[in-house]
Amino acid sequence: MTNRIIQEPADTTVDTLTNSYSDSWQALEGIEQSSAFIQMMASNDLIFVVLGVSLIIWFILLFFIIKVDRNISEIEKSLEEKHS
Amino acid sequence: MTMVITIGFLIPIPQIDILEESARNLFLHVPMWFTMMVAFSMAFYYSIRYLNNEEMDWDRKAETATAIGLLFGICGLLTGSLWARFTWGTWWTFAEPRMNLSALAMMIFVAYFVLRSAFNDPVKRAKISAVYNIFGVTTIPFLLYIIPRQLPSLHPGAEGNPAFSEITAPELRYIFYPAIIGFIGLSIWLMDITNRYKRIKDLNEQRL
Repeated sequence: MTNRIIQEPADTTVDTLTNSYSDSWQALEGIEQSSAFIQMMASNDLIFVVLGVSLIIWFILLFFIIKVDRNISEIEKSLEEKHS
Repeated sequence: MTMVITIGFLIPIPQIDILEESARNLFLHVPMWFTMMVAFSMAFYYSIRYLNNEEMDWDRKAETATAIGLLFGICGLLTGSLWARFTWGTWWTFAEPRMNLSALAMMIFVAYFVLRSAFNDPVKRAKISAVYNIFGVTTIPFLLYIIPRQLPSLHPGAEGNPAFSEITAPELRYIFYPAIIGFIGLSIWLMDITNRYKRIKDLNEQRL
């Protein structure tokens, strides 16, 4: 857990971010005080972050597909009513 | 796509401090934005086609493309936020221009659907939302590419194209490019399905 954000002085002209935010961007510092969830995520070289990201994408796409599915069943129902 | 996800987890990657294994997010987070751009450009094209030739088909396609673009944009935003928590140490920061401007871009497209729901007359709705969409999509390159590059930022790619620059290790590219193609393919497939059901729905309503 020795890694932290080291902000290189940017090549760009003004670097306002380093001064104002480097205190609050020390990513893994003080991780011991944070919740169990955050600690679990930060273990194993952050691989759980990748898992989390893939799950987010998966669930959003799943949500969309379920929505389409519901709409299709609605159409199906109204078509069946018409034919009966 | 399945191959991409599997290999994306399996291959060894060069270790970078801070990022560590989360550099694998490159295969997931970045293609989201690429897909969003493709979907919004398609929406832009369909909106112009609608104004040119007023067939409801184009309006339907524009709406679907915008919806899919918004879906992938929200994916990109949420995954970016999660990634930022473990690399930058915060879920959200107002000092990061790219983060805030992409959120703003999402708001513009949420407003598109709010606008659509405000009209009952389909022709009027289609026309006004096509005009709105053309304006909305035009702001995207400014919000996501031009302004963030003028401001200091922690986000990679502040000084050029992040995806094709030399920082990306060659091992990553073998998966990164198929991942982009895969996600774009997936989005086009989703659009196709949605368009088909919307068309059937319209045909069904006309026959009532």
